[in-house]
Amino acid sequence: MTPAREQLLALRQVTVSFQGFVAVDRLDLAVASGELRCLIGPNGAGKSTTLDLICGKSRTTSGEIAFRGAPIHALKEFRIARTGIGRKFQVPSVFRELTVRENLEIGCSRGPGVWRNLFRFSGGADTERLERLAVLVGLEDHLETQAAQLSHGQTQWLEIALILAQDPVLILMDEPTAGMTAHETSMTAALFNRLRGRHTLVVVEHDMGFVRDIAETISVMHQGRLLAQGTADEISQDAKVREAYLGSGGIGHA
Amino acid sequence: MDFVVAQILTGLSLSSILLLVALGLAIIYGVTGVINLAHGEFVMLGAYCAWLLQSQFGWSLLASLAVIFLLIAALGWLIELAVIRHLYDRPLDTILATWGLGVMTQQIVRLTAGGELRYVQMPPSLSGSVNILGATDSAYRLFVLAVALGLFLLTWCIYRYTSFGLKLRAITQNRAIASSFGINSARAYRLTFAYGAGIAGLAGALISPLKSVSPEMGTTYVVDAFMVVVLGGVQSLVGTLASSAVLGEASGLLAYYSNDTIAKALVLIAIVIIIRFRPQGLFAPRVRA
Amino acid sequence: MSGKISRQILLYGIVCLAILAVPLLVDNAFLLNKYARYLIFGMLAIALSLSWGYAGILNLGQAMTFGLGSYCMAMFLKLKTVPIHTGSDGLPDFMVWNNVTELPWIWVPFQSMPFALLAGMLVPALFAALLGWFMFGGRVAGVYAAIITLAAMVVVNLIIIDQQSYTGGFNGITDLAQFDILGLAFDAYSASTYYLVAVCLTVTLFVALVVSRSKTGLILQAVRDQEERVRFFGYDVALYKTFIFALSAAIAGLAGMLYTIVMEFASPTFLGVPLSLSIVIWVAVGGRQSLLGAMLGAMLVTGVQGALSETEAFLETWTLVMGGLFVLIVLFMPKGLAGAVEALLRRIPGGERKGDARPAARQGSKSQPHLGGAL
Repeated sequence: MTPAREQLLALRQVTVSFQGFVAVDRLDLAVASGELRCLIGPNGAGKSTTLDLICGKSRTTSGEIAFRGAPIHALKEFRIARTGIGRKFQVPSVFRELTVRENLEIGCSRGPGVWRNLFRFSGGADTERLERLAVLVGLEDHLETQAAQLSHGQTQWLEIALILAQDPVLILMDEPTAGMTAHETSMTAALFNRLRGRHTLVVVEHDMGFVRDIAETISVMHQGRLLAQGTADEISQDAKVREAYLGSGGIGHA
Repeated sequence: MDFVVAQILTGLSLSSILLLVALGLAIIYGVTGVINLAHGEFVMLGAYCAWLLQSQFGWSLLASLAVIFLLIAALGWLIELAVIRHLYDRPLDTILATWGLGVMTQQIVRLTAGGELRYVQMPPSLSGSVNILGATDSAYRLFVLAVALGLFLLTWCIYRYTSFGLKLRAITQNRAIASSFGINSARAYRLTFAYGAGIAGLAGALISPLKSVSPEMGTTYVVDAFMVVVLGGVQSLVGTLASSAVLGEASGLLAYYSNDTIAKALVLIAIVIIIRFRPQGLFAPRVRA
Repeated sequence: MSGKISRQILLYGIVCLAILAVPLLVDNAFLLNKYARYLIFGMLAIALSLSWGYAGILNLGQAMTFGLGSYCMAMFLKLKTVPIHTGSDGLPDFMVWNNVTELPWIWVPFQSMPFALLAGMLVPALFAALLGWFMFGGRVAGVYAAIITLAAMVVVNLIIIDQQSYTGGFNGITDLAQFDILGLAFDAYSASTYYLVAVCLTVTLFVALVVSRSKTGLILQAVRDQEERVRFFGYDVALYKTFIFALSAAIAGLAGMLYTIVMEFASPTFLGVPLSLSIVIWVAVGGRQSLLGAMLGAMLVTGVQGALSETEAFLETWTLVMGGLFVLIVLFMPKGLAGAVEALLRRIPGGERKGDARPAARQGSKSQPHLGGAL
């Protein structure tokens, strides 16, 4: 933990239940500015739901979520996004009918107003920035390719680039390396390490190797609650964590 | 007292027609997710079949019911095969295609049978009236009510208690998973569509002695049927029954108090408001999306 | 990229010039009136293409906004006739027949031309904005939104028919004065009216082109593709959809105003289900994702229909053929004729990038950035 840093995101006693099934149960979680936090846990622990709650895809039943000191859990999704929160989804979701370039233009959402965007056209001020982003994720040769024709790994990279185009303060990543080759995964780790400091990241991930490569602090969730928190070594020594992971093949394969 | 009973009977008669017309739409929509805008035309074709069999071949209405059911079901089967099955993953296009089919059907009828109004004779055995608690009601209307309830029960039993019904319920939950367990969902969809169409045809035949028969008659019925389905909830047969009853009685009262045009407008406004605020219907429980 | 845009502007410009040049070749007032009607249908198709093709909002009630515009113009032109037709009462003739004694408040402002002209676009836009806010604010989308638009149109239609003393009821508003502005008179059967319509169409087409090419247009296409995802970038999806819905309504309203000038009456059939279905058919035939395609589709279909309408039997059969054609296009050519032409142009060797040689892989996908043609 780095107490010197200012607290950016705070979940306090957050609970959500679907038809009586409590997916997240009185969760307390705090993330400091500039931190790269990994969120791990067995299937059904409530990790993705937690990200859903932060970005507004699901609504809290009770509890409070504060971002930069202000409560956000009652805001509409697009308002939450405008406070500076970006989300990458587990199933990569990009705009398949549009080209890579157009996708990136959508990502540049600094001016989200209808009226303002009526007078903006392709090839405007964002061009250089989005071409740099395309280089960053290795899609510079595919700018005019329709997103539907990208490979799975490329689609993951494109969505990451979209989030970077959005340039949010806080980035929520849901299994960014799912379906990636080992090489792609290590490149993603390198990318995340470069983002550290400039953005705050919360990453849900199953791949422990990847988590070890990037994480400072790991939060372990189990049955909707925070089970443990600490460095990678501390976590893998933790008795409660080992117990929670029994039956799912141990922490390394979860 | 007589007045109240008479009013209730009027409402019940309207309800039974609504139930007949909506049942087919509800089945098709509930199972396949297709909003069949040609549904009204199936009803219209059923009515025309009744007219044709009666005026050209001298069949009594009761005798022709089974034939009409089979004919329109066969047509539904063909339409599913030729058009609908290509569109299951394009819901907006299904309403366009079924709309187009409806226009074609209307036009074919207009070109062959002519645009003028046609009339179907009531079966003589049912043309009398019955006294209920001091109020009289036509025997035929009661017969229609009985048939509507009978068809509903039959459909409900198929859905609940047969293995085909179980397959349907599985497909409704998740088509891909049901298919992976070896359920032939394409065949189930086609049969469902045929059955729904057949019931619509039957509805048209049963309604034909009560109303005049014209190529445009289907338009009214598709709106009414849609209203019933929206109100009752998409995947709830019991909801369809309940909303038919409520709507029938309500429109009986409404017609008593106000003019027809405003009543129609009110029905449409109700549809809009329900879609907006309770898309799962009034009689269906809330479930997690 | 920019080369393609300029090619597109060039193509659109050529088509508009051709449309504007028609009166130089046709000297028949009756024909010009007919052609002006086709142009108005082209405007309607552009309106629907914006909301359906670009934003994925299938408006089955597009004729509602068309009819509202048409009635705004008819009310204005009717009031211009008042002293002549009814003498001292100061009331339109049909109101006198319906025993109305005072000009209804809703009619009063239509004595002013600037108000009427603005209302012809703003009233439909406002209606659409309210309906859009109601639907999209509640996340009603897809099939349900289509049904709501249809229901809303029928409700407005029923009200207009029912309120006979204020709207002329079933007969509509007839016996109108001639439209004139800045000393120019627009006889329905004249080249000047044709030019008026053609200029409005050209302006509409280019405004629509700019909107579709703007970032707002791009965001709407993203909404069509994955509405949920767009929200998480901070875009107010409901506002975007309401905007395009209202813009489309304003265009339809303008078309409606022109239609009243050309037809010399307004009728409840202008906001009827058959016309609405026709608009959908035109756009589907021409290509919903191409403004020019949709516009030409409308002109093509109504033109053929007009040629056949000389004989009643042909027209009846034509409706049947149209229905069948529509079903086939929905089934097998979701991008309409414009899509087919683009696919053809892509096969012509030399012009295009390698990725474009696989039309099969692009089924149902958007094609502007790649297109061989600039439709």
